[in-house]
Amino acid sequence: MSRVIAFCFLLLAAVLGFLYIDSRPAWTPFTVATVAVDEEEQAQSSPVKKSSLINKLTIAHPQSDWLPDTGAASVHAASLISLKDGAIRAFWFAGSREGASDVVINSAVYDSKSGTWSAPTVVMDRLTAEKGLSRYIAKLGNPVPSRSADGRLQLFFVTVSIGGWAGSSISTISSDDDGTTWDRPHRLITSPLINLSTLVKSPAIQFADSRLGLPAYHEWIGRFGEFLRIEANQVIDKRRMSSGRSAIQPIVFTDGADRAAAYFRQARSGSAPKQIPVSETHNAGQTWQTIGDLEIANPNSAIAALTLSNGMRLLVLNNLEAGRHRLVLLMADPSDKAKQWQVVQVLEDDEALSDEQRREFSYPYLITGDGSDAHLVYTWDRKKIRHMHFGSAWLAQLQWQLKDQKKEGEQ
Amino acid sequence: MDRLMQIVALIETSISCAVMVVWLIEKIFQVSVPLSARPILLILFGNLFFWPLGLFMELPIAAYVRGVTGDLSIVSMLLLWSTLLPSNKPNPIAFKVAVAIVALSFYPLALGLGMFDPYALGYGSIGFLIGVLAFAVICGLANWNQGVWIIAIAIIAWTFHWHESANLWDYLLDPFLGIWAIGAIVNSFRLKRRERAQSGYLFRAG
Repeated sequence: MSRVIAFCFLLLAAVLGFLYIDSRPAWTPFTVATVAVDEEEQAQSSPVKKSSLINKLTIAHPQSDWLPDTGAASVHAASLISLKDGAIRAFWFAGSREGASDVVINSAVYDSKSGTWSAPTVVMDRLTAEKGLSRYIAKLGNPVPSRSADGRLQLFFVTVSIGGWAGSSISTISSDDDGTTWDRPHRLITSPLINLSTLVKSPAIQFADSRLGLPAYHEWIGRFGEFLRIEANQVIDKRRMSSGRSAIQPIVFTDGADRAAAYFRQARSGSAPKQIPVSETHNAGQTWQTIGDLEIANPNSAIAALTLSNGMRLLVLNNLEAGRHRLVLLMADPSDKAKQWQVVQVLEDDEALSDEQRREFSYPYLITGDGSDAHLVYTWDRKKIRHMHFGSAWLAQLQWQLKDQKKEGEQ
Repeated sequence: MDRLMQIVALIETSISCAVMVVWLIEKIFQVSVPLSARPILLILFGNLFFWPLGLFMELPIAAYVRGVTGDLSIVSMLLLWSTLLPSNKPNPIAFKVAVAIVALSFYPLALGLGMFDPYALGYGSIGFLIGVLAFAVICGLANWNQGVWIIAIAIIAWTFHWHESANLWDYLLDPFLGIWAIGAIVNSFRLKRRERAQSGYLFRAG
């Protein structure tokens, strides 16, 4: 009799289980950004118009400034997001040293019109995180903002309860007022081993159903990328982007509704090639295949990526096999099917200095404000966060130069 | 709702810690805690873990434990709690073997070995759910009704999003369950070898 009752209860569980699975959202394609062809773009097609346009433009060089100083000895992992009013909000972590218990996640807003940063505020500290998450938290790191389907600002960040960064988990907070106030943190469960070792570094992409695809990575037993499908404050699916112990911190370029490519920070050991590993998907991230390396040097350091509204792609990275003392901007023309990356600007270079004098330029993060410009932040010697703004005219000029070079090469 | 989920998780962790303390007392002092004393000890230690004690601690002890262990799977939790029940019987060795095999094959794959991630099946694979149900049916046919109940409760907890995870694996398995299963199998072999050795000594030909 007791067995019959047990089986009846199992039947109930089975029915509930099937109903639950049936209610789960289907996997959808990526949101496809429409490629805007503006007047400047059209002008490129006519050499006469192009040259006259260049003459007309007063091309401003990239503007550079610093994120506000909080007095902290160590700062790192800055990120950006556009706000509804056109301003840019930055996040970064700051403390006595990376991984210290006094590390907090700071934020400040950049007014594009006045070109100034607001006073920094603390978005999250260790005590707030552990009270909200009802568990011990030892340290914080890597804030990554995103815009959720309902228009709220969502911030993903890393917390560690025990050990180093390999013991990380991802948590998230949301804001109804573009970052002025935040709700209590929520934990994302991403790993079956005590939820250990999942980190986030790169911006999320959107699915057609407005859910988020968040590139994440493991950094403990394995070092590999994972693609998390996020609904509000929980992971509803995830897919592996690479395997083994060689590729972390994926960034994703979408190539349409179903196709995307992920570039990784290489984390290989020994004499393995120090280049950027690449994976691609042809079914909107449901499965990924590793397709070899992009032949750009990578010294086990983070890379930043951006696609502008005209399809032009940007990368910022350390194009070195060792060290992080040079930071460059690369560009790839959307009309170039081979997507050849060209270094178009050296942003920082301490190559001429001795090893001891060289500074670290790392953790770049790129966004666009209006679709045609680019904002970059990166860690400057672990002491400051540098912000650069590349205007649309300057980027367009680089694009023309790139096309001219390509034409000359073909001739 | 989320706040309630956090409180429930802390209560679960506190009870699990209290059960572990009672178990440790029995093992260390080689005593059997009377059935009547078990609820009292459970309430005492459970409260000790659940409420913030102040001193140098910012959180309840259970929150520190939870920071390290995460939430136990429903299967682990119920198996652990059931050890204090008066009617509790040892779990079948076949169940432990099955858990050990699943854990040993699951964790390497889930932690980055190859491109197949079995953990992803737990988000909503009908095939995986059917597999879990089949396992529960086998437990019932093998006359282990407790297993049927525990797996059914785990599935229902998953459908109601009882814990933070939306993945069925997190309701069924955790590393502690895998380690327990492997340890119990090793211990079982050790006891059998000892029994064989003793019986060989007693009935050895003169």
